[in-house]
Amino acid sequence: MAVFLGLPLLIYVGLVLWPFGQAFYYSLTAWSGFSPPKGFVGLDNYARIFSDATFLRAMRNNVILVVVVPLVTIVLSLALASVLTVSGSSTGEVRGLRGSSLYRVVSFFPYAVPAIVIGLIWGMVYNPRGGLLNGFLTALGFDAFAAFPWLGDTDTAMGATIFVMVWAMVGFYMVLFVAAIRGVDKEVFEAARLDGAGRFRTAVTITVPLIRDNVQTAYIYLGIAALDAFVFMQAMNPTGGPDNSTLVMAQELFRTAFTQNRWGEASAMGVVLALVTLAFAALVFVVNRLTGAEKDEGKRT
Amino acid sequence: MSEQFGTVGRRTLLRGSLVAAAMVPVGGALASCAGSGAGPAAPQETGEATDNNPFGVPEGSTVDAVIFNGGYGVDYVEFAAEVMGASMGVTPKISPSTAIAQELQPRFAGGNPPDLIDNSGAQQIGFNAILDQLEDLTDVIDANNYEGTPIRDTLYEGVLAPGTFGDKLAAINYVLTVYGVWYSASLFEENGWTVPTTWDEALELGAKAKEKDKYLFVWGKEAATYYQTMAIESAIMQGGDEVRLALENLQPDCWSKPAVQDVFTKMAEAVEKGYFAPGGAGTQFTAAQAQWSNDQEALLYPSGAWIENEMKSQTAEGFEMKGFRGLVVDPATAVLPAGALHSTAGEPYIVPSQAANVAGGKELLRAMLSKEAATNFAKEKLAPTIVQGTVPEDGFGSTALQSQTEMLNAAGTDVFTFNFVSTYGMNADMLTVWNSFLDGSFGVDELTSRLQELTDAVANDDSVEKIEVQ
Repeated sequence: MAVFLGLPLLIYVGLVLWPFGQAFYYSLTAWSGFSPPKGFVGLDNYARIFSDATFLRAMRNNVILVVVVPLVTIVLSLALASVLTVSGSSTGEVRGLRGSSLYRVVSFFPYAVPAIVIGLIWGMVYNPRGGLLNGFLTALGFDAFAAFPWLGDTDTAMGATIFVMVWAMVGFYMVLFVAAIRGVDKEVFEAARLDGAGRFRTAVTITVPLIRDNVQTAYIYLGIAALDAFVFMQAMNPTGGPDNSTLVMAQELFRTAFTQNRWGEASAMGVVLALVTLAFAALVFVVNRLTGAEKDEGKRT
Repeated sequence: MSEQFGTVGRRTLLRGSLVAAAMVPVGGALASCAGSGAGPAAPQETGEATDNNPFGVPEGSTVDAVIFNGGYGVDYVEFAAEVMGASMGVTPKISPSTAIAQELQPRFAGGNPPDLIDNSGAQQIGFNAILDQLEDLTDVIDANNYEGTPIRDTLYEGVLAPGTFGDKLAAINYVLTVYGVWYSASLFEENGWTVPTTWDEALELGAKAKEKDKYLFVWGKEAATYYQTMAIESAIMQGGDEVRLALENLQPDCWSKPAVQDVFTKMAEAVEKGYFAPGGAGTQFTAAQAQWSNDQEALLYPSGAWIENEMKSQTAEGFEMKGFRGLVVDPATAVLPAGALHSTAGEPYIVPSQAANVAGGKELLRAMLSKEAATNFAKEKLAPTIVQGTVPEDGFGSTALQSQTEMLNAAGTDVFTFNFVSTYGMNADMLTVWNSFLDGSFGVDELTSRLQELTDAVANDDSVEKIEVQ
């Protein structure tokens, strides 16, 4: 017993808790990164980053991402998942659209491609001159887009980036939800249909409550991905975007550590990022509970 | 007990695992910051110092070199290692790296850095972070080269300045970089255009380019600050040391100096008249450069001389790349003489004091500074090193290399440089500002105030050690 619990615990402490503690300690120093840590400065680094307009901007961008990306991705992938499983023909057995297995495979493709590759490919698609998107738009007669910088305009940079993130992730979450819906008894959907529930009604009042654990997990994972977002941002806009409109905390952390050699400050940013992530996860739990998770749970068992 | 564990556990465990999952990416980000204490300098085992072995490299030792693998590759160091190995009986271990800071940070913090480092590239280690851990390389410069001449006597003017911090020669910058504005000589000849020397002439040329559906300039989002470099060069040619020192020492009004403002105004005029190819703020910089070198949609591109090598595979046939030193506002009142040129040495080579084989690191550097290795570099990379007289008149057939030699000869001792942007790591923040200026969202006033804010922030930050430039 002691071995089975003790060893993992030891590994957990050594590889997870210890670095956390270390990073927190570094965040209280003026460490430059290339010598032994020195110069205890208390909470100065935290005061600095919270009065640093660039970091606050990055934090705001992360908040935008964490609100928009999970919501859009989950709504889209849930809709697709229902279409592929229970929203097919309304006569006969409850089933998905014809050929749904093909759609399932196709929409999973983007997830099989590494994020960095997706970022670079879309960077080229968005390229103002000679990019696929502007080529397509100008061919349709929208000449205003002849050299429109999708990633270089403050109005579109964030939107264009969010689109790519959603595009990359929607397939995976669709497959996750398909599996979850498959786990629900078909009779439930049949009963709903006999009672006269339409496709939308079924999705909202039957499907979502029955797979809410999966939705919650998906929400948290997507939220973490949105709070990180480093790979997509670094691939599409390594400089932080026009007027820092796509800069995220992880990029600012990286920049502070590796180009400005302010590792103490970068550690403080890491601690803040960790706390924001934990706060986000806690918020999702609370919201899930308030919207009636226990009740649904009770219904099911 | 196990029964209870099973029933209590399901939800709590799920919750716990979610929290753990939530912490994974954060843990990764933080864990990479971990470092351990650096020990005292490694005990050096040295051999006997002789004329052929001035630093006393122990026979049969290994030299561990980490070289930035950028535009110049690493094969030139391997070549130098062969030159050295023949006479020394030393085993070189040359490792390429594209991310010097990330790769070497743990080795510095752990007290076992390599013997020789090419601290270059976008992820170079800031000198203010490691200055006190580096060897003074004056003894390398004072040693004889492999041909028997003191190395100091073989170098170009002023090339040690960028590696000198206070009174310490902490780095030897190996490659001589000439900054200028580059163009296609064949395209200019075809259209009967003349190379501009002033901003007004450049604006006239912009109008002519428009007639041919071409642009004067093009820019890419990661390289928008090339235009800042160009503007500062212009301002220094016009206003001389007063402007240069104001910027280098981050003075409170440095961006408002008349010489700087005049250049910004001319640039803004070019932006307004549509002489910059649109969309640069969303264009990857090599794609933008190809618009100039391959599609020839733009006439001019300001850059360091590495541009020829960088765009080699994407340069139109018969391009005949040439360069000129830049544009001035008013040559009649310019403080610096007509040939004055922004040129500096790049690719800083450093030897950490804590390295296992300090003598070996210095010896490899001495081999690189030999005439044989330096000539090999110039020939293979079409760029001069800091060693004089390695480029023949025909520039190994490269027009860009020829014009570099011409510019250097015309400048003589009137060579200047500036380092404040990289010294204080300000480029990333400045890029944002310049992208907004070049796409027309910022005017001159906004450009000036934003740049001033950035320099003021560094100047007023007590935690940043300032390096005073005189």
